[in-house]
Amino acid sequence: MTAIRVEGLSKTFRTKTKAEGFGASLRGLVRPRWRSVDAVRGVDFEVEEGEVVAFLGPNGAGKSTTIKMLTGILVPTSGRAEVLGIESASRRARDRVRLARSIGAVFGQKSQLWFHLPPSDSFRLLGAVYEIEPAPLARRKAELVERFGIADYMDVPVRKLSLGERIRCEIAASLLHEPRVLFLDEPTIGLDVVVKREIRGLLEEAAKRDHVTIFLTSHDIGDIEKVCKRAIIIHHGAVIVDESMKELKHRALAKKFIGVKYTAPANLDLPGLKPLKRTEDAARFEIDTRVHRIEDVLRRLVERGEILDLTVEDESLENIIAEIFTSRSEEDARAASRARPTSALGPGTDSGGGSSDEPGGAP
Amino acid sequence: MNRYLLRARKYGVAAGVSLRNRLAYAGNFASSMATYALFIFVFSRIWTAVFAASGPAIAGYDRVMCIWYFIVAEVPMFGFGHFFHTLAQDMKSGQVAYLLGRPYSFVGYHYADGMGAALLEAGILLAEGILLGGLLAGALPLRSLVQLLAVLFSLLLAGSLQFLLQFAIAMTAFWFEENTAFFWIFQKIALVVGTLLPIEFLPEAAQRIVRWTPFPSLAYAPARLAVAFGPASGGLLLEQAAWVVAAAAVCRLVFGVGRTKIASQGG
Repeated sequence: MTAIRVEGLSKTFRTKTKAEGFGASLRGLVRPRWRSVDAVRGVDFEVEEGEVVAFLGPNGAGKSTTIKMLTGILVPTSGRAEVLGIESASRRARDRVRLARSIGAVFGQKSQLWFHLPPSDSFRLLGAVYEIEPAPLARRKAELVERFGIADYMDVPVRKLSLGERIRCEIAASLLHEPRVLFLDEPTIGLDVVVKREIRGLLEEAAKRDHVTIFLTSHDIGDIEKVCKRAIIIHHGAVIVDESMKELKHRALAKKFIGVKYTAPANLDLPGLKPLKRTEDAARFEIDTRVHRIEDVLRRLVERGEILDLTVEDESLENIIAEIFTSRSEEDARAASRARPTSALGPGTDSGGGSSDEPGGAP
Repeated sequence: MNRYLLRARKYGVAAGVSLRNRLAYAGNFASSMATYALFIFVFSRIWTAVFAASGPAIAGYDRVMCIWYFIVAEVPMFGFGHFFHTLAQDMKSGQVAYLLGRPYSFVGYHYADGMGAALLEAGILLAEGILLGGLLAGALPLRSLVQLLAVLFSLLLAGSLQFLLQFAIAMTAFWFEENTAFFWIFQKIALVVGTLLPIEFLPEAAQRIVRWTPFPSLAYAPARLAVAFGPASGGLLLEQAAWVVAAAAVCRLVFGVGRTKIASQGG
C-alpha cells in the first residue's frame, strides 16, 4: 500500500521585504513590498508502507515545508499530498483527526514535551489526546520506556534533561499511539556522535518492530546511511534525485582515490591522469573508473619505483551528496546526476553502512 | 472506557497538566498577588475618600459595595487576563504550527490548557481578595449559598469569555504581523467598562451602548452578583452564557479560516 503520495506539490510563501533607511520604512507602512518565495515547486514522489526514506537537501531546499504539508500543518499552494489515503490539506475535521491519529512527528528543533514537567506527564497527556485507554497506554508506555532506555528520565523535568535524553523521550512519545507513518525532521541535530548512533539504532528498531513507515530529513549522512533504504534529494524546492540507497552508494564506485608514496623521488607524470596533490615522492590521484581501469593505473604506478605505501579509497557518500547539494542550479544537479551512470557499477563499497545491500524500496 | 468519555478526557488531562505546569514554580503567582493586593488597598482608600466627600451612596452603591465590587471584578482581569500573551507568542514563534497536527479541537484544547492554570490562579486571588476585603471593608455581603454559587459560576463564565475573546484577538496574527495593539485596546475598554467602576457609574448613553457589548460579562456580571444579588441576576448569567457561546463560534470561525494561512517557513 502507498503510505505517502505527493503530486505536483508546491508551496509559495509571501514575504514582506523592507528596504534600508527610514524613508523606505515609512513607505513600507503605506505600500509594503512583497516577495514570493517558492519553497517547494511541483514535487512528485510516492513512499510505500514500511519504507524508510531519507528526504535530503541543503538548508532552504524545502524539506521542512514538505513535511509540514504532509503532516497537515501547511496548506499547499498547488498540488496534493496524501498520507495513507488521507488528503493532508483536507478541511474536513474528520480527515484531519484521522490523519493525526495515523501519523507521528518529531521536529528536532521543536519539542512536544512540556518543558517544566517530567516526560511522564507529557506521555499521559499524549495518551489522552490520542484517546488511548489507560491500560493499553500503560503497557505501551512501559514497552517504549524499556526500549528507549528512558526509565531514569521519566520523572525528571524536561528542562533538566540533556538534548540526547530529550530526543529519546520525544521519539518514544511520538510512537506512543502506534502511528503508521513517522515523520522526523532532523531528529539528531545537535547530538554528539554516541547519542546519534543510539538514536539511529532506535529508529531502525522502530521501523522493524513497529513496521512504521519512516520519512526522515537530516543533514547527517550517518543517519541516512544507517537508517534509510531510499533517498529523495530536493534542491531549490524540486526533487532532483530519487533512488535507493544502494544505487546512491554505487555512484561512489565511479570514482576512486589512489594515494601513493615511493621510497625515493619518482616520475609521477601519468598520461591522462592529473594528480590532486603531488610531491617529489608522493601523489594522490582521482580516477574516473569509467575512463581508466584501476588495475592499469596501479600497474603504471608500480612501474615508477619502489612503493612505500599505497591507498585506494572510494568517494564517500557524504561527498556525493555534497556535490549534488552544491550544484548551483537544478539543471546542473540533474546534469551531474546523468553524468554518473550506475548500471555498469558493481557492488561493494567501504563508504556505506550496514544496510547497503538490503533491497531498495523505490516504487 | 466510553468513546465520548475518552474524547472528553483529553481536555481534562490537558487542564490538569497545565495546572501542574503552573505549580512548577511557587513564585509564579507572587507578582499577580502582590499587584492585586496593592490595587485593592489603593482603591479601598479612593472609595473611602470618594464616599466621605459625596455621601453614603452613588448610583445605588455604598462604600463597602464598591470595595467588594472592585475585589471581585479584578479576579477575572488578573486571573484570566493573560492568555493573549502566550497565544500570541506561540503564533509569532511558529510553535502554533506544531500544535495543529493532533486529534483534538484546537480551540477546546487551548481552552483546557489555558483555563487549567488560570482557574488555580483565579482561586488563589479570590481567596486573597476575600481576606483583604474582610480587613478593609468588613465581611463579603453574601446572603446565601445560591448567591455564592452564582458568583463562582459567573466568574467561570467571565474567565471563559476572557479566554475566547483573547484567543480570537491572538488569531488575528494570521492576517496581521503585529496584533498587540488590538489586545491593548480590548484590555483598556474591559478595564473601564465594568472593572474599575460599576457600569451604573457611566453616563446613561454609554451604559446603553456597552450593554450591547460583551464587556459587562467580563467583570461587571460576577461583581454585581457579589454585591447586589437579586431577581435580575439570572439575566446577567444568561447574558454571559450567550456571549460565551457567541465568542466560541467566532473563535472556531477565525481559527478555521486562519489555519489555512499559516506560513511557517523553514525548519
